[in-house]
Amino acid sequence: MPVPQFDYIAPKRVDEAVAALVEGGKETRVMAGGTDLLVKIRHRMLFPKRIVSLKQIEGLDAITFDKNTGLTIGATALLADVAAHRSIRRYYPTVADAAQSTANVQVRNMGTVVGNLCNASPSADNAPTLMAMGATVNITGPTGSHRMALDQFFQGPGITALKTGEIVTSICVPLPPAGSGTAYYSLSQRGKLDCSAVGVGTMVTLKGNRCMDVRLIVGACAPVPMRTLGAEKMLIGKKMTDTLIRKTAQAASKETSPITDVRASAPYRWKIVAVLTIRALADARKMALGKR
Amino acid sequence: MKVHSIIGKDIPRTDGRAKATGQAIYADDIKLPSMLYGKLLRSPVPHARILSIDTRKAAAMPGVRCIITGQDIPRITYGNWRLFPGTQDEYALAMDKVRFIGDEVAAVAAVDRDTAEAAVEQIKVEYEELPGVFDVTAALTKNAPVIHDTSPTNISIDRKIAYGDIEAGFAASDYVREDTFTVHAVSHAYMEPCACVAQSDLDNRITLWTSTQTPYIVQCLLASTLNMRENDIRVIKPNVGGGFGGKMELRPWEFCAAFMARQTGRPVKFTLTREEELAFGRRRHPMTIRSKVGYKSDGTLVAKDLHIYLDGGAYNAMGPTATFLSGNFGAMLYRYPNYRYIGEHVYTNKPPASAMRGFGAPQTLFAAETQMNMAAEELGIDPIEIRLKNAMVSGNELPGVATISSCGFVESLKAARRISGWSRKRKRLKTGRGVGIGCYSFISGGVFNWFNTQYPFSAAEVRAFADGTVHLLTMASDIGQGSDTVLKQILAETLGLKMEDIRLTAADTAMTPQADLGTWGSRVTLMAGNAVLDAAKKIKEKLAGAVSARFDLNVIFDIEFADGRVFAAGKPDRGMTFGEAVAFVQKAQRGEPLVYRGSYTPRGKGLVSPAFSFGAQVAEVTVDTDTGQIQVEKMWTAHDCGTVLNPMAVEGQLEGSVHMGLGYALSEQFVMDGGKTLNTTFLDYKIPNAADMPPGESVCIDTFEPEGPMGAKEAGEGLVSPTAPAIAEAVFHATGYRCKDLPITPEKVLKGLGKL
Ligand SMILES: Cc1cc2nc3c(=O)[nH]c(=O)nc-3n(C[C@H](O)[C@H](O)[C@H](O)COP(=O)(O)OP(=O)(O)OC[C@H]3O[C@@H](n4cnc5c(N)ncnc54)[C@H](O)[C@@H]3O)c2cc1C
Repeated sequence: MPVPQFDYIAPKRVDEAVAALVEGGKETRVMAGGTDLLVKIRHRMLFPKRIVSLKQIEGLDAITFDKNTGLTIGATALLADVAAHRSIRRYYPTVADAAQSTANVQVRNMGTVVGNLCNASPSADNAPTLMAMGATVNITGPTGSHRMALDQFFQGPGITALKTGEIVTSICVPLPPAGSGTAYYSLSQRGKLDCSAVGVGTMVTLKGNRCMDVRLIVGACAPVPMRTLGAEKMLIGKKMTDTLIRKTAQAASKETSPITDVRASAPYRWKIVAVLTIRALADARKMALGKR
Repeated sequence: MKVHSIIGKDIPRTDGRAKATGQAIYADDIKLPSMLYGKLLRSPVPHARILSIDTRKAAAMPGVRCIITGQDIPRITYGNWRLFPGTQDEYALAMDKVRFIGDEVAAVAAVDRDTAEAAVEQIKVEYEELPGVFDVTAALTKNAPVIHDTSPTNISIDRKIAYGDIEAGFAASDYVREDTFTVHAVSHAYMEPCACVAQSDLDNRITLWTSTQTPYIVQCLLASTLNMRENDIRVIKPNVGGGFGGKMELRPWEFCAAFMARQTGRPVKFTLTREEELAFGRRRHPMTIRSKVGYKSDGTLVAKDLHIYLDGGAYNAMGPTATFLSGNFGAMLYRYPNYRYIGEHVYTNKPPASAMRGFGAPQTLFAAETQMNMAAEELGIDPIEIRLKNAMVSGNELPGVATISSCGFVESLKAARRISGWSRKRKRLKTGRGVGIGCYSFISGGVFNWFNTQYPFSAAEVRAFADGTVHLLTMASDIGQGSDTVLKQILAETLGLKMEDIRLTAADTAMTPQADLGTWGSRVTLMAGNAVLDAAKKIKEKLAGAVSARFDLNVIFDIEFADGRVFAAGKPDRGMTFGEAVAFVQKAQRGEPLVYRGSYTPRGKGLVSPAFSFGAQVAEVTVDTDTGQIQVEKMWTAHDCGTVLNPMAVEGQLEGSVHMGLGYALSEQFVMDGGKTLNTTFLDYKIPNAADMPPGESVCIDTFEPEGPMGAKEAGEGLVSPTAPAIAEAVFHATGYRCKDLPITPEKVLKGLGKL
């Protein structure tokens, strides 16, 4: 079959976009940069009748930072903008790094961080770090606006908690607590510029050498970017020694349920989760201790 | 040494500007009035009998103009080995059986692409599925399903080479080792997917614009399959975005475009998608390579016994040539007093493998060079030393095959050792970091004529004009490698003209001189270059005569051609401009234009190639021993391609080779489920990116090849071979893991290190 024909509309306001989505129902799709959506249409995995672009909505691409409320990344803020943003680089270096490690120059200049999340790929490069940092998602729909923890947002491969007519307008990331450190490691077959076969993001909060809080998220090894709660428990309240990090990494690996696909085999992924978890935790510890 | 003004200089590609600005016309850019768009229906199953095809529903769709199946076309097979019709095993559309997922079953021509695609999906084919075989082992087991009735063992062809006394050789060896290597299929991944447009005129003659490396072969095979005369088919090669061996045969869309153009009276275009190319396209042969070698304890080679199974896929394609060449590449780099080769080309129910850059060499040399490194390790000899001991030198013979007229292999080895800092690095690198070496030799075109042409292998026509310009006509096909530029350079240098003085018409079978066997086996610079020189020599003879007569020169004078002038050597005032000389000749000929033909056919050059190139490459890698990931830090290359006609062009070939070799070594592979290719986009078919390219350094060894134009020989195809063995050895040096089955994936490294 040929590439489907669709209507394209670009409303100027969020409520107009919501109205267009409600009116169009299931066969309507939101588009930010289109780097996922248009590829899927081209490959005949999606057949929308109508596309609602968010690009014309003023202010939706804003990135704002405030030391009290934290960071807000608008729905149409580009991956490239997030990667280069000064406050993000300063206060959320791992958020910037994750954006920078997504795709290539061309895609980063079109694609968005929010689109990366809404696409709900288990391997989305921006999800683990943002989940680790306790990000929330701001949603507007026909019944008004609400917010949701990013943890709750992913439901399965390509499936989010969004209901018909709902749009993510932005995500918020709280200011990282004192004594915290973050890190994201990903790995793919081709070295640079490639979709991740495994990704691990973490945030640890230390008091001295003791771990007060930790979040550890593994990408591409389960139907959604996955929090490894068991592994986290092993660390909390303990001294974060190399030995404990290695044990935690093994535990994190066991919690995941990777599959074998064209990008990597399940046994390899299990192994790599452990390796990357060690690296991510060690890096985050270093940052928390002010050594990075 | 003669000083050149154009040869040996960094002359930019004459097509570079048009390509960079998007003005270059490729086959898919061609649009003709009332043109139809074609689409192929392909088999969804790997092996089946076709019971029935129902095209009625598709034919009734508005906009559909023509549908054809195997029943509508002449029952004539094709293949490039015309001399052996038994090897010609392919029909343009499947007749009774399909043999791989993607086998072409029917074709639709419609008013637009969408309609053609929609119509293809409405064709109903009933298949009776047959069991399939998907690797060599399965294909060769007793009672395996037979893919072609003509080959009951599934072996379509075998080739043997033997000299010396292999058993005596092993008996006289101090050290014998036997290994089995396996190598995988990879895609040509040319940037331009295949495309063509066919037009049929009122006299029923066909013109075909097609993305091909071999317009002459396409012309001949299209004529035979359509039951037409060769001269009624005109094949034109527009700009081509790469071929690498994947575009050197007649292909079903070319046939279907021509057939349906004749049927409908309207031009028909086919353009393949990238997914079609990756899922169903030609690929490099996977091989199982069993190699036994014997050495003296000082590292001197005594004997080699090589047995290769080529996994050919469903049809022969260029497999027979690859089977033959693999045996030659097995013993081209070093002196083997005793050698035996058996190559067997095996059918499987997968997309056919075919020629691909190196034509058997990347596979064979991965095995041979890795085995050489293993032997060096066990004999306690430095890998470069053991090679120096056995290296071919000028004048060495490939027994019964050829004498190597120029060879800079020893110099290449020494230069690679020097520029890479080999000796220091081999001793002192920390774990996880290593250096390794791989080498190659390659042919400068084949001397074999299995296509059975009655024409010269290459031909050129040069027309000289009184305005000081010339027109070069040649069937040589520039597919992106830069041969148009190099042929112009050769002609401009010879006639003392500038690049811009030369107009070129190339690769149009109705307009350019017969014939040219095409672009493959690194034959173009040497063969077409020699044809150009031959024509230029005849033009020069005439012009020299004119100047000699005009100035009443003593016959002992040499006549020079330089700076657009023709003059007596040492007496520049006794001469005239090139244009004046042409006018003079024309007047003497009473108006006849000054036109000469030149040609080249290798004769008395043995069985393989008129000339051989050599080189050595060192890779340095870092291996992450926890993840198994390999980072290639740098590549050093020293190679002998004879006279370097255009350094910039050679460098481009080298970089492209390293890039392709890198993908072959590390990341590119088809993920298969039985006969189904699972990774059909560049997201999952992993070609290295620009960011993955290591820096490199290179040296060209200065040799002069007597058989080559101005001393030149092959550059850039052979170079694709050393990269994988060099990286594999570097990985071994870094980690102790020895890869004998490409590609070297992170998973294999971890398994090899016992960590997975
Ligand atoms: C060559 C290439 C390489 C890539 N490499 C990577 C990589 O390395 N890592 C990686 O993680 N991804 C990669 N991607 C995927 C993709 O580029 C990213 O996921 C990108 O961030 C998507 O953003 P977008 O704005 O283009 O999303 P779009 O394509 O516009 O949208 C994606 C999905 O989210 C929905 N959506 C978008 N915005 C909203 C919103 N505000 N509210 C509700 N729904 C919304 C859309 O309906 C669609 O379903 C790659 C893609 C390509 C083409």
